[in-house]
Amino acid sequence: MKLKKIMAFVLTMIMVLSLAACSGDNGSEGSSTDSGTSNDSSSSDSSSSDASGSSNVELTIAIWDTNQEPGLTQIVNDFTEKTGVKAKIQVTPWDQYWTMLEAGATGGSLPDVFWMHSNEIARYSEYEMLLDLTDRIESSDVLDMSKFPQEIVEIYNWEGTKQYAIPKDIDTIALWYNKTMFDEAGLDYPDESWTWDTFRDAAEKLTKDDGSQYGFGLRPSNNQAGWYNAVYDMGGYIISDDKKSSGYDQPGTIEAIEFFASMSKDGLMPPYEVLAENEEHALFEAGKVAMITAGSWMLAELCNNEYVIENGDIAVLPKDADSNRRASIYNGLGWVAAENTDHPEEAWALIEYFGSEEAQQKQSDLGIVISAYEGTVENWTAAYPDFNLQAYLDMMDDLVIRPYSKTTVRWENMANDKMILAWTGDKTAEEVCLEIADEMNALLAEE
Amino acid sequence: MAKQAKQKGTNRARSEFIWGWLFILPTMLGLFALNIIPIFQTIYQSFFKAGAFGRGNVFVGLDNYKRMFADESVWQALINTFKYAVVEVPFSIAIALVLAVLLNRHMRGRSLYRTIYFLPMVAAPAAVAMVWRWLYNSEFGLLNHLLNTLGFDSVNWISNPNTTFVWIAVVGIWSVIGYNMVLFLAGLQEIPQDYYEAAMIDGASAVKQFFNITVPLISPMMFFVSVTRIIAAMQVFDVIYMMMDRNNPAFFKTQSLVYLFYRYSFVESDRGYGSAIVMLLLLVIMVITVIQIRMQKKWVNYN
Repeated sequence: MKLKKIMAFVLTMIMVLSLAACSGDNGSEGSSTDSGTSNDSSSSDSSSSDASGSSNVELTIAIWDTNQEPGLTQIVNDFTEKTGVKAKIQVTPWDQYWTMLEAGATGGSLPDVFWMHSNEIARYSEYEMLLDLTDRIESSDVLDMSKFPQEIVEIYNWEGTKQYAIPKDIDTIALWYNKTMFDEAGLDYPDESWTWDTFRDAAEKLTKDDGSQYGFGLRPSNNQAGWYNAVYDMGGYIISDDKKSSGYDQPGTIEAIEFFASMSKDGLMPPYEVLAENEEHALFEAGKVAMITAGSWMLAELCNNEYVIENGDIAVLPKDADSNRRASIYNGLGWVAAENTDHPEEAWALIEYFGSEEAQQKQSDLGIVISAYEGTVENWTAAYPDFNLQAYLDMMDDLVIRPYSKTTVRWENMANDKMILAWTGDKTAEEVCLEIADEMNALLAEE
Repeated sequence: MAKQAKQKGTNRARSEFIWGWLFILPTMLGLFALNIIPIFQTIYQSFFKAGAFGRGNVFVGLDNYKRMFADESVWQALINTFKYAVVEVPFSIAIALVLAVLLNRHMRGRSLYRTIYFLPMVAAPAAVAMVWRWLYNSEFGLLNHLLNTLGFDSVNWISNPNTTFVWIAVVGIWSVIGYNMVLFLAGLQEIPQDYYEAAMIDGASAVKQFFNITVPLISPMMFFVSVTRIIAAMQVFDVIYMMMDRNNPAFFKTQSLVYLFYRYSFVESDRGYGSAIVMLLLLVIMVITVIQIRMQKKWVNYN
């Protein structure tokens, strides 16, 4: 009888303790949802230390790119050395990042410092969820906003009066190709002389009849690193400068979509089902396609892959034969702080540090991304010496800001869904583009 | 003497009453706060065009519902959800019942087998979906690799608009068989052995015994399982979300209503519309459940 009682007590204690341990873990991982996909590297309790002394402050930083985490952690450690303020980075993959943030925002518990993107800045600004940095920026002697690309600064400026973010980086797009496959086919590597026509020819020659190798791979949903660039090269545009009308009905836009759709229909890309189930970089890394277009944020993934190290390299995007234009879509992330953060001064100090020349230089040196601060990029190419990173910098000659508006996500998702039909050939590129233009104009009118 | 007894009875009854409610209280609180209140909030939200972050809601009356009735993707999603449920529920029940009968005999390793069949329930749905996704991958997946080695062509398991829902349902069946089996095992314990012995003496085969003794006597449990499984199948989301992305050509013909709800409420922050879609789902499930309960008299044997 006594043994039973003891056993019962012990088991109850174990249950209670494991509940407490579980909920403790859940508390710190609370901002990253979805157990299967979230790549949470920091498992320790970040919401613990919230004492008033500055040396006890621990800020939470939210980002979505797990590739950038190691480098950013180093920069954060520098910051902690300087100021004694600690900060913890939490990674939530892009697909869940905004859902996580929104849930936090609605519940009043945003991370202290986090990444902002042009897709979402409007919403967060309009609802005043972000810390207004305007005054702090003006009185700062570390920050020099003129050193950042003005278009990026503008993205995060609300109605001309409030600056909500410090630019963090810029990204450009370039062409990745498989040297071995080019050698095998006896083709010269891509260079600045390439036009989209040369590109297509090469893709044809690189496509094998037995289906083991295709010239190119591009998914309909890959707009920024994919067909957006050709759209601008060929004289089209996605959204008008005043953000009131769609550019999908422009002849240049239709021409660009037709270009890629026809590559899919003519079998220069893997069958649509294969494209749908696998991301472009996976196909490139598996030796299934000879060329892909990829943004500079993919470097950590591609440059660390064994197959790509052996066989891959980077070149600038092809240009358009008629306009000679070689545009690259670019975007820049921003560092923002939550309006209701418990530590506004510390959060500001961290953001200020991230925007300082020192941190921006380190960001480039570590090869994390192309920093936004002017003149900090020379060392970036040295991060992965085996690859021609210079191609990404060369693309900076003709930059087009990633198309955005107040409700970017809605029309982008709509356009991407419809784009699938152009790839599969169920509708012509022109039909698809005109439909998109109609719906997008309707959505823009609602803004 | 009698008065004292009556007093005791009332005190006892009252004490039991209070303790009963005390024990239920945690669950009731949770049920109320996490289920009942959100249901009313959702109904409320379906009449609004939601602003971001829970602020700035604009009353739009029945607009969300009008939009929903005209939206082709919603009706297609309803059909998709039905298709999924029609494949998942019957098969999982049938297979689980057979398994339960087989694992009810005295055999060596019975506990081991029961554990193995129950294991899929223990694995996280997201992890299960990821593994199956790679099994089904048309280019690099294991299933196609096996088919190719045996000389067959690759199959587009999860990118064929017409058949994807079947293979996704297979994943659903696989993961829920264990759960159904445990329930059926419990139900089987209730069937007295005498019936089987009598049938054996009369010379009935195992199959005949199954259909004439087991099935009728386990019908209460089957009723419970089928009602709960249909409700759960109509709410399918995670397998579809994890195994397919928006590029997938089969997406339009496979996405479920709950996926649409997730997309509109969380991805596109259009909470009002998402809530309307969920109302539709609620209505459909209620109707189906009511029909099932009415039909109960026809086929369920309560002794």
